[in-house]
Amino acid sequence: MPVDARLSHTAAMILQAIHAGHIYGFSVMQMTGLPSGTVYPAMRRLERHGLIVSKWEQQAIADAEQRPPRKYYRLTRTGRATLDAAYERYPLLEKMIPSPEMERA
Amino acid sequence: MTRPWLRSVSLARINLRAASLLIPRSDRANWMAEWSAELHHLCRAAPDEIAGSPQCDPLEFSFGAFHDAFWIRYDLLRSAGLPMLRSGSAARSGLILATTALAALLLCLVLPGARKALLWLPYRHSADLVMISSCGYASTQSPSIALADYQEWTTDTAALFTQISFYRLTIKGVHTAHHAAARLSMAQASDNLLRLLDLPDSRNVMPPAAPGEARLVLSRTAWRTLYRGDPHLVGRTADIDGQPVLIAGIIPDGDWRLAGKIDAVLLEDQHALAALPSRTRGFVIARIRNSAFPPPRGGWRKMVETRDEVTRSFDCISVPHLLGQPSFVFLFALLMASLALPATTALPLGDYPRRRDHLPRIVNARRWGFLIAKFTLVLLIVDLCSTDLAYGFCAGDPVTALYIQLATAFPALLFGFRWTLQDQRKRCPECLRLLSNPARVGQASCNFLSWNGTELFCASGHGLLHIPELPTSWFSTQRWLCLDSSWRCLFAERPSPHPEMV
Repeated sequence: MPVDARLSHTAAMILQAIHAGHIYGFSVMQMTGLPSGTVYPAMRRLERHGLIVSKWEQQAIADAEQRPPRKYYRLTRTGRATLDAAYERYPLLEKMIPSPEMERA
Repeated sequence: MTRPWLRSVSLARINLRAASLLIPRSDRANWMAEWSAELHHLCRAAPDEIAGSPQCDPLEFSFGAFHDAFWIRYDLLRSAGLPMLRSGSAARSGLILATTALAALLLCLVLPGARKALLWLPYRHSADLVMISSCGYASTQSPSIALADYQEWTTDTAALFTQISFYRLTIKGVHTAHHAAARLSMAQASDNLLRLLDLPDSRNVMPPAAPGEARLVLSRTAWRTLYRGDPHLVGRTADIDGQPVLIAGIIPDGDWRLAGKIDAVLLEDQHALAALPSRTRGFVIARIRNSAFPPPRGGWRKMVETRDEVTRSFDCISVPHLLGQPSFVFLFALLMASLALPATTALPLGDYPRRRDHLPRIVNARRWGFLIAKFTLVLLIVDLCSTDLAYGFCAGDPVTALYIQLATAFPALLFGFRWTLQDQRKRCPECLRLLSNPARVGQASCNFLSWNGTELFCASGHGLLHIPELPTSWFSTQRWLCLDSSWRCLFAERPSPHPEMV
């Protein structure tokens, strides 16, 4: 997907949440306030368009903590560039979900 | 964790399992694993955070899984392209109409009143079944015959009727040894009523153990609610207002189609009925003797009786005709709508080339087939929806239901037929897609005698449609201009220049 892709506000919020370190579906839901029925399909679409990648947690870690393994998400380079482009369209995005860099600043 | 919390977690797991069945099989395990893991973490986090947060409710989370499944399916369909279901295509319109008809049919089957009106009569040999009323159709829904009249007819009318039966609607208290008391609405009837109606299940009804013994036949709903579906109930004795009565059988709810809403039929012999006041009014059902009394044509026939030098007349109304009135009302609405249609829209579909090389016969056949299919589906949808509305939602008085059906079916049919014709006129005769990009050509005020109107074209490049602004003797209706294949390159659909919105 090109960097100047038209990103919906929902998709931009999800990208920003992942960028801010909320890397699981449930934590994205908590941070954005979006319902589960919106977040997961949107993340699948973002993944299909190469803006994020997902990875299953190692089974050994989950076994050690006696819980099921979780799928976590992170931004790709294209995703990061697309998010940067989206800041121009949605200037309040960074204030709504502050990223680690912004918090440090 | 509290018990309601654990229950909602269990329900959420069941929901997730159900939602996973809607996901394509190849992705099902992956989605199920992700949902389960997220639910696990939600449950761990939730006791602290649940207050007022819908995201932390396991049930809310699990309902979102259905939404996920819907969007996954939607995305799959969209990515597959499905050219048949493109916007404005004939297949899409047909699918929408067929889905609406299916939904209306399902609603009809779910709503008890609508289901009754839709299904065939359960009575066998119903052609010679009549209801006797004192004042035509008007008194078929309320009791109009005195018990004394019925008792006279049981002996006097043997030449006219092979069987005759009486019932009245009443409410009685039912007590059983093991179950709580309840008040049931009943049809207190002569003991031959079910035999006369010839219901498929009437043979399973037990005969009286002793002559004159009263019997109770419960509807399936009453059996389930009052006796919790006790399988050994038939043959036991119930107490009805102090009178012991044999529970003789259970009949499906849909088998009772006569006037009145009942939970049970109380069958009593003539002696027991004679204990009622002779002026008690009820309904009389009879089977006519064909040799003496041909089946009532047009739905009803007069029966004149002279007693004590007083002549009275009664109407024998055909039960199939009486209960089949929703169909007659719909046919009447259809006739009215067909007559009114030319006043609301033009009937011609336009001028299309008749040369075989322009529009092959198969293309023409498909166009007409599509039009007929649309008309049929519109008819079906209106019939089912008006039945749903009249008998399902506004159930109660069947006469009111008939008026509601007529009042809804007529405008809906008129609107539906009008839409069908207008939609057909706006479609390409070759690919049946809706025409697009209307362009106004000419100005009526500048060149009154020159052609002016609207032009639309088929996005696939099959041709152009000219619609005149002012119909003239040389251009009275819309005209289709076929374009040969050399024009296709100009009209070929291209992918959208805009990148997809994520």
